[in-house]
Amino acid sequence: MALPRLSRSFTGLLVETSYLIHQRTFSVSPVAAAIQKLTRVRVVDNSSLGNTPYHRSPRVIHVYTKNGVGKVGDKVLLAIKGQKKKALIVGHKMPGECMTPRFDSNNVVLIEDNGNPTGTRIKVPIPAQLRKMEGDYSKVLAIASSFV
Amino acid sequence: MRVKIMNVLCRSRKLVSSVFRSNILVDQTQVFGSWLSKARCSSLCQNLPQHFTANLASCQHRHHAASFRSHFHTRRCFSDRNEGRNSTSTGVFEEKSHEIDDNSFLSQSPLETFNLDVLVSLLRQENAVDLCVIKIPEHIKYTEYFIVVSGVSPRHLRAMALYAIKVYKYLKKDGDPNVKIEGKDAEDWLCIDFGNMVVHFMMPEIREVYELEKLWTLRGYDEQLRSMPDETLPEDFMFDVETTK
Repeated sequence: MALPRLSRSFTGLLVETSYLIHQRTFSVSPVAAAIQKLTRVRVVDNSSLGNTPYHRSPRVIHVYTKNGVGKVGDKVLLAIKGQKKKALIVGHKMPGECMTPRFDSNNVVLIEDNGNPTGTRIKVPIPAQLRKMEGDYSKVLAIASSFV
Repeated sequence: MRVKIMNVLCRSRKLVSSVFRSNILVDQTQVFGSWLSKARCSSLCQNLPQHFTANLASCQHRHHAASFRSHFHTRRCFSDRNEGRNSTSTGVFEEKSHEIDDNSFLSQSPLETFNLDVLVSLLRQENAVDLCVIKIPEHIKYTEYFIVVSGVSPRHLRAMALYAIKVYKYLKKDGDPNVKIEGKDAEDWLCIDFGNMVVHFMMPEIREVYELEKLWTLRGYDEQLRSMPDETLPEDFMFDVETTK
């Protein structure tokens, strides 16, 4: 962090202000939007396509909704390792409805064109509200290991 | 007290209905409960105490009335797995015997509710291969029963799913939600979510790939889950407001 270095070089004035900033008693979180085109996502299943390292992280190139915004349960098209793959959003950093979980990363599960998940297990917790939503989510829920 | 009956295929022509509930030790190698064999069935029937034989007779009678077109294909005894129960607390292997309550039995007849017995009997009637029923413990708030079935061909799976939906629609009352088949695009994996039960119709090949029974009985100790590498944060990771962008 730049601030401690500054406070060491300028004594007096900056020491007090940096002391106040480090002592904040509330948590601060950045602004987060839902998933749209060109967002980098995290693949959370154990598929080989999602877990092999590549010089570019997987990015969303199309969101299959009426507006281009993807929330939990929406299908998106990803560009992974130079190929296109469909995926299902299972969590995003944007706060959603009341009493729905918010995740620290935009999580995504890879899906084939016929709806079958590409991976076989999901370690990351999956929101339980997927069960009530309209859509084919039972397969993803069946390979999940924990629910939130 | 309620009568809980699970239909058990016995090799003999004599129809015997009895309930087996076995708790499974989580770290046991053989997780799928006990295989049904003729010897075991007959020995258990003998071991049942005196006052339960009367119950058995009445249960038998009730089940005759309950199952539609009930005819048991004793020759087509595919590998049937008994209902297994997850036990996280004790893991004691016990066979629970059933209790009877005449009052509740008369008021809510099994002909009217689409419960596990109806579903399992209709799947058996449809010649389902490798029927596996897993009871999910209470703390996993997903569903009560998790059923995995295989079929002979994709058409067979589709026919079983459609027949299950048809029976559900016939038996459901006004307050029950409609149930749809998920995975209609995939020919090898369909699934239906009735509120307290989830049924997965898979082909044997894809069943081997996913191994859902292992996941839902072993839960955290599943092999595929354990072989997944642990995710660690990279060394240069900083979750801080001021340093992002």
